[in-house]
Amino acid sequence: MGAESDRRVALFGPERGLAPSPCPRLRPRAKAWRELRRAPPRPPLRAYGISTSLATALAILLALLSGCSPKSSKRTVVFWQFSPTAAIQPILTRFEAQNPDLHVQVEQLTWQSGREKIVAAIAAGQPPDLCELGSTFLPGLVADSTLRDLTDSVADLRPSLVAWDVASYKGRAYGIPWMVGTRALFINEDLVKKAGLDPAKPIATWEDLAKTARAIATRVPDAKGFGMNAGEREILFKKFMPFAWGNGGDILDSTLTKSVFASRANLEALRFYLSLKPWSLLDRQEMHDEAFAKGRLGIIISGPWLLRKIPQESPDLHYTVALMPRPPRDRGKPASFAGAEVLGMFRNSKHVPDALRLARFLVRPENTMPLFLATGNAFPAAAASAADSYFVSHPKDAVFLTQLKTAVGPPLHPRWVEIEEIINGELEEAIYGKKSAEAALQSADARIQAVLTQAPSP
Amino acid sequence: MKRAPGILPWGICFAIFGIFPLVFALILSFLSYNPLRPDLTHGVGFANYARALTSPSFWHALRTTAIFVIGTLPVTLTLAYIVAALLGRLRRAEGFFRAAIFFPATLSMVVIALVFKTLYAEEGLLNGWLAGAGLPRVHWLQSPSLALPSIMLMDIWASVGYYAILILAARKTLPEEQLEAARLEGLSTLTIERRIFFPHLRPVLLFVVLLNTVRSFQIFIEVFVLTRGGPLESTLTLVYHLYERAFYHFEMGYACAIAFLLLALVGLVLLAQRAILGGEPDAAAARARVPSAPALEGEAAA
Repeated sequence: MGAESDRRVALFGPERGLAPSPCPRLRPRAKAWRELRRAPPRPPLRAYGISTSLATALAILLALLSGCSPKSSKRTVVFWQFSPTAAIQPILTRFEAQNPDLHVQVEQLTWQSGREKIVAAIAAGQPPDLCELGSTFLPGLVADSTLRDLTDSVADLRPSLVAWDVASYKGRAYGIPWMVGTRALFINEDLVKKAGLDPAKPIATWEDLAKTARAIATRVPDAKGFGMNAGEREILFKKFMPFAWGNGGDILDSTLTKSVFASRANLEALRFYLSLKPWSLLDRQEMHDEAFAKGRLGIIISGPWLLRKIPQESPDLHYTVALMPRPPRDRGKPASFAGAEVLGMFRNSKHVPDALRLARFLVRPENTMPLFLATGNAFPAAAASAADSYFVSHPKDAVFLTQLKTAVGPPLHPRWVEIEEIINGELEEAIYGKKSAEAALQSADARIQAVLTQAPSP
Repeated sequence: MKRAPGILPWGICFAIFGIFPLVFALILSFLSYNPLRPDLTHGVGFANYARALTSPSFWHALRTTAIFVIGTLPVTLTLAYIVAALLGRLRRAEGFFRAAIFFPATLSMVVIALVFKTLYAEEGLLNGWLAGAGLPRVHWLQSPSLALPSIMLMDIWASVGYYAILILAARKTLPEEQLEAARLEGLSTLTIERRIFFPHLRPVLLFVVLLNTVRSFQIFIEVFVLTRGGPLESTLTLVYHLYERAFYHFEMGYACAIAFLLLALVGLVLLAQRAILGGEPDAAAARARVPSAPALEGEAAA
């Protein structure tokens, strides 16, 4: 009983106004409590309230004032971007040294919440002066006339940068290509060998891919042949469309007014893609990367980030990087998904000339190469970077540069977000066996056409 | 009013971060508002509400959310009650076990979800154990029929400890004399739980039910981190649906209408729960009369 009471007092504290405890172990506490009650009275609550309010208000005021620096002669350019600050800061420091009248206030966004932050800033009328934007986010911003037309301001940069089509709409440039990315085929040579195939023989066609994936899945215990994305609907089109583009298929026609998604080329591609399912690991991209690095997955479609991950986690893994497979050798092309990071300015961005100076500085090859080396996720959009000696000594990275030549970006259509959602949803149903390849494509085609009919003419 | 200065800082913060967004969101729910094109904003009356109530996606998301609430609430409550009862009976290392049980409540849900993302992976720890035991792998998050139960399981794990500590704290307020008397009368442990503890805990159980209901209806982080509504929209909950409409399609007015429909729904559910489970927590406490020892005599004899 006594121990129980002690525990209760320890948990809930002494109860005020209780009669002296009969328990001898509690008597000293009761005495202390009586002494405490004889202590000088505290100031009235109201006095506490006023003093607390004043102190809080003072603290807030001081905190606000501490954020204000003495007036500087430098103008500030607010720059939002996705790279780690440690990677971008040395480049910005160089810029500030060369432009002593400017100070760059850089902020790192995350891919998980960057979009929301940008939208909120635009809605509040306080967008950054310069902002890194992903190519899949761009169409919506262009459609809503949120981005500033930079065509005339950066006309001189056109020859020196690639991927302008990703940043252009109706021939006008709404962003400056900064970094570009694509996906290629990663092949585990050890597993190919264990499956009884020759790892030196390249996987160049769909048939090669299917044959190798099947051999690994059936002949190597605890290994899967191919990584098929599942459980992350938002990237399915990036994984399927390379096969469709490689086979001559597409999503919209050249005028962007008609869906061609149910074409024969797309149907062949989807049937082939689904035929890989029995030999595949169905999981998210990061799990594919993980399984590949651990040597349990034969072939995956992945990006350059995996080139940095493997040496750290599995330095002994024998693997190669190849272009995406084409249908037969004599037809189609080794297409892949092309993504780009562009530098954009919003309609109500302040300090436009200063932001343009910063953008021009950032896209130079001497500034994009260090960023690529620091992050390893995307390649410089500066055409001259392809000649950098780094790519001679790193042939696996060089494969991505070759892949970029036949990579295709999504159509820059104002309703792209809805179109992408339809494609991803229908592909998911096909992958999970809820619909046949033909039914999924026809359903997607009809739904895309309905969106295009509602949409204003692009 | 005399004490207004004391609560002024809190009042200002609440007005700015509580009242203003609520009123602003209510206004938005009657507008067509794209944050990227505020110049095109115009009133649409109740069209956003009508659209939500006729949208298959809204009803699908509502159904998923309801399954989540119905699936997690009784399990969480039962487990929390059992854990609290077991903790209350511990005579040694109670502090350690109390801290261990409460530990998940100290973690951010994002962190918990990231840990479970790794556990649930096809090549993850759980499947590793299953493979080690010679059992087939389970597609925890990839299977449309298992993804939601997997999230529910994680949510239960993350919530039980917090509610168990709340219930345990309430158990500790029961006078020891009553328990001693019941034991002297020879009542079984189960009868003591049913006739003494349960009525005593009723107010806090009602509080736990209401709290968990509100939390469960708001499920978002788990879905955002683990499944993004998939596969095949099997984990598309109402708040995630709202988020997609707001931040992917920029339909802020429609998203706000969904939010207020959710608010109304949660309010109705809470009222129903309170009516069924015992009205006001204080009233429930007053009704939770502890039976006297003579009243229990018959039961003890039985």
